[in-house]
Amino acid sequence: MITLEGINRIFQVGDQQVHALDDISLTIQPGEYLSLMGPSGSGKSTLLNILGLLDKPTSGRYLLEGREVTSLSDDEQASVRGEKIGFVFQFFHLVPRMSAFENVELPLVLAGMAPSVRRERVHVILEQLGLMDRAHHRPDQLSGGQRQRIAIARATIMKPSLLLADEPTGNLDSRSGTDVVEVLEQLNAGGITLVVVTHDGQVGKRAGRRLRMVDGAIVKDERG
Amino acid sequence: MRLGDTGKFAAQSLIRARGRTLLMLLAMSIGVSAVVILTGLGEGARRFVTGEFASLGTNLVIVIPGRSETTGGAAALMAGETPRDLTVDDYLALSRNPLVSLAAPVMVGAAGAARGRLEREISVVGTTSEFLKIRHLSMDRGKFLPGGDPSRAVNVCVIGEKIKQELFGKEQALGEWLRLGDRRFRVIGVLATGGRSIGVDIQELVVIPVASAQALFNSPGLFRILVEARSRDVMPRLQDQIRRTIAERHQGEEDVTVVTQDAVLATFDNILRALTFTVGGIGAISLAVAGILIMNIMLVAVSQRTREIGLLKAVGATRGQVTMLFLSEAVLLASLGGLLGLLLGYLGTTAIHGVYPDMDSQAPLWAVLAAIGVSSLTGLVFGIVPARRAAALEPVEALNG
Amino acid sequence: MRSRDFVGFSLSSVMAHRTRSILTTMGIAVGIAAVVLLTSIGEGVNRFVLAEFTQFGTNIVAINPGKATTFGAPTGVFNTVRPLSLEDSDALNRIPYVTSVVPVVQGNAEVEGSGRQRRTMVYGVGSQFPEAFKFLVAAGDFLPDDDPRAPRAYAVLGSKLKSELFGDANALGERIRVGGDRYRVVGYMQSKGQVLGFDLDDTVYIPAARALDLFGREGLMEIDVLYAEGAPADEVVAGVNRVLVSRHGGEDFTVTTQQQMLDVLGSVLGVLTFAVGALGGISLLVGGVGILTIMIIAVRERTSEIGLLRALGATRQQILRVFLGEAVILSSLGGLMGLVLGIGGAWLLHLAIPAMPVHTPVSYILMAEAMAVVIGLAAGVTPARRAAAMEPLEALRAE
Repeated sequence: MITLEGINRIFQVGDQQVHALDDISLTIQPGEYLSLMGPSGSGKSTLLNILGLLDKPTSGRYLLEGREVTSLSDDEQASVRGEKIGFVFQFFHLVPRMSAFENVELPLVLAGMAPSVRRERVHVILEQLGLMDRAHHRPDQLSGGQRQRIAIARATIMKPSLLLADEPTGNLDSRSGTDVVEVLEQLNAGGITLVVVTHDGQVGKRAGRRLRMVDGAIVKDERG
Repeated sequence: MRLGDTGKFAAQSLIRARGRTLLMLLAMSIGVSAVVILTGLGEGARRFVTGEFASLGTNLVIVIPGRSETTGGAAALMAGETPRDLTVDDYLALSRNPLVSLAAPVMVGAAGAARGRLEREISVVGTTSEFLKIRHLSMDRGKFLPGGDPSRAVNVCVIGEKIKQELFGKEQALGEWLRLGDRRFRVIGVLATGGRSIGVDIQELVVIPVASAQALFNSPGLFRILVEARSRDVMPRLQDQIRRTIAERHQGEEDVTVVTQDAVLATFDNILRALTFTVGGIGAISLAVAGILIMNIMLVAVSQRTREIGLLKAVGATRGQVTMLFLSEAVLLASLGGLLGLLLGYLGTTAIHGVYPDMDSQAPLWAVLAAIGVSSLTGLVFGIVPARRAAALEPVEALNG
Repeated sequence: MRSRDFVGFSLSSVMAHRTRSILTTMGIAVGIAAVVLLTSIGEGVNRFVLAEFTQFGTNIVAINPGKATTFGAPTGVFNTVRPLSLEDSDALNRIPYVTSVVPVVQGNAEVEGSGRQRRTMVYGVGSQFPEAFKFLVAAGDFLPDDDPRAPRAYAVLGSKLKSELFGDANALGERIRVGGDRYRVVGYMQSKGQVLGFDLDDTVYIPAARALDLFGREGLMEIDVLYAEGAPADEVVAGVNRVLVSRHGGEDFTVTTQQQMLDVLGSVLGVLTFAVGALGGISLLVGGVGILTIMIIAVRERTSEIGLLRALGATRQQILRVFLGEAVILSSLGGLMGLVLGIGGAWLLHLAIPAMPVHTPVSYILMAEAMAVVIGLAAGVTPARRAAAMEPLEALRAE
């Protein structure tokens, strides 16, 4: 599914170079459930952003489903993000002026799908997540857990093969946090590859494969 | 809060949002400079025209044959022929009036002018020696028409510079013969080009004694009699006397129109003033638009700075102070824009003056003051709504905002 | 992304900031309204003036004595060494396509009739005058087709002169004096009203030869030649030139076709209309600056939304279009509002001052709206490009 070979990411901060990722090599199988943990500044978010094609490695190869993606053009990367990758963010990133329904629909709109097909698919997914009655509420009328579930619905509406979650529970109370993690795990059970970056050990240890990062390197890779 | 501190606070906010401040200044200065340049152009045109008239002397009274009852003064200029001509004797009668310092008869017509094989159609003016002074013309070389009995036809002529060039080229023209129609005239002078003269290009004129023109065109009728009064004060009296003198000479019939240069000047002056005002007004519409923009931007600023307003109120700012802060920001924005516009407008009018030196295109003082006043006022008026909205925010909500 | 979705998306953000959008729109609306109103007045005046001229017909060629011009008119009108004669006028009648020829001498004299006196315009003309200039006789006949050199002393009155001298009484057959000479009234004209400040009803028409006598003139002021509808003007002008040059031995006259005059007039008025429109356009420029400002603010405020859209697979092109779309929506809504204001204003103006000619051609409306769209595009380009150029990751992190 994913192969990273010798990935380096170096930031220039002033006249100092920061080695955010240091020669990372990693293979992720389809349908795997990974958690990425580590202290602040360990490079876990940077790794997630590179996996999500939001950031480019300074050097190294990234094969997504056997295809080299680091050298793709800006537009090609955008379409890979649109079709194959879903994002869940700590701060939800819902468009405030749009209803829950419209937020979920957004990726389909960007992909140019016909309105009737869109409606059908949004309905199905909101039904699955039990959010039908919230469809026409705006984000500020929803609770944190509901917002994150809307964000998850939006991330998966395009049926991506890879779901990337950056601190998905970081802004939620523990009950809604558990709720959200369960939803993500259900999706993983359905076959989607799930990568979760988290600070929360309780959330992290639920994953089938647990990576620990320190100073831009993977220091621990546990399974089972 | 001290006034200076309020101003400093407002200035800081403006500098922090540099991009939009610059754009607002641009908008306001477009409006103000439009007003300044447009009124400057209008004023320049007005000064140009009035200058042209004034250079002909403001004590001038013009006697025109014909009179019309319905169509008024302007149309009388087009009245055309009359059964009883205005004659050289009429002119002599008028010039004997003690209120008159100078008078000249004017006859115009078209004729072919020829020298050797060179020939062209020209405009001929038949007049007397006084014409030179009354129209403020000057000679390039030679002399103007000689004085003496105006009913004596002398075959001499004075020519414009362009006619001289076309018919004589680089050769000496003085003392040479020029054929007009079937008569020959000796060139005794060439007119200087510098003179101003409304409606007539003196460079393309040939001036001959009025009696010669009457003979040339086989008609006794004058086109105009130009009369210069001794002083401005006597002009109304002189106008009356001219009408009476002509009526006496024309069997009691008042068949001339008497207009003063001043009246014509006043008409032009009024028209051009109105025009200046109108274009200035049209330019001022853009000031209103700039005002709307300032209001818009201030509203955005209020919503973006909700937290800051909450903080100010939490540390003890009153409603009045918050209102003042935002209002002074708007007024500062508008008046700075106004000043910038003035500068741009001044540069614009100076550039125009550079390209067209004849146009003294300074914006009139009223327009400059109005532009500055209106721009500051716009800031004040359009600043009120956002400032009040800011002042009305509840401190707690604003802090959480 | 479908174009309907683009519009919907842009529209949703325009609607989300209602006050801001309305004010921005108003900036453009005022500008468009000013342009529409001012050009409507310009076009109205343009049409009014052209109609005033064309009411005399467009198949007219005017010939004046002399080639040089002073005081804005051919100098020869006042005096000339080679006058245009009645014989010249006669000769022009034989040119192909020419349907009528009218010699004109115009002046000013005292007219006396039924014990009253009035100074009026005197037109010495030929018998074909009414056909040539589309004047209608109200009662009696126009001047008869006499021998042009020895016409009978008949006169035709303009409607105002008729009522000033005779009131409602019948004037036909009455005797009047024009500048002391005796004439018999054979007809009077229907009212023609004022044309460009000249009262065409305060006139008396007499035969041209008698007017020449009355004013002591040798030559005519003008000869007007009317040619058949659809006939080639060039050939008529060439004919006039040929006849007169052979009679005078040189080109000592000026020929002006009505079409030339209309063209000159039309282009002058067109430039004027354009100029006032451009003055109004200054406001539009300011309105454009308003859109630019608001769009820059919008892009900054919605940085994280831009990041999200990019993460969801939006291309730079799509981001560009969304923001450009917003700018165009603002400006074209402003344009529509301005059109309503401008056309409404023109209509109110016409109601308030009926004498004020106002006309708003459809093409102007379309052009004004197109201008609004172009302004939106121009003002939107910079902010939209800024939005499109954002790196998705940095945009997402922005707060």
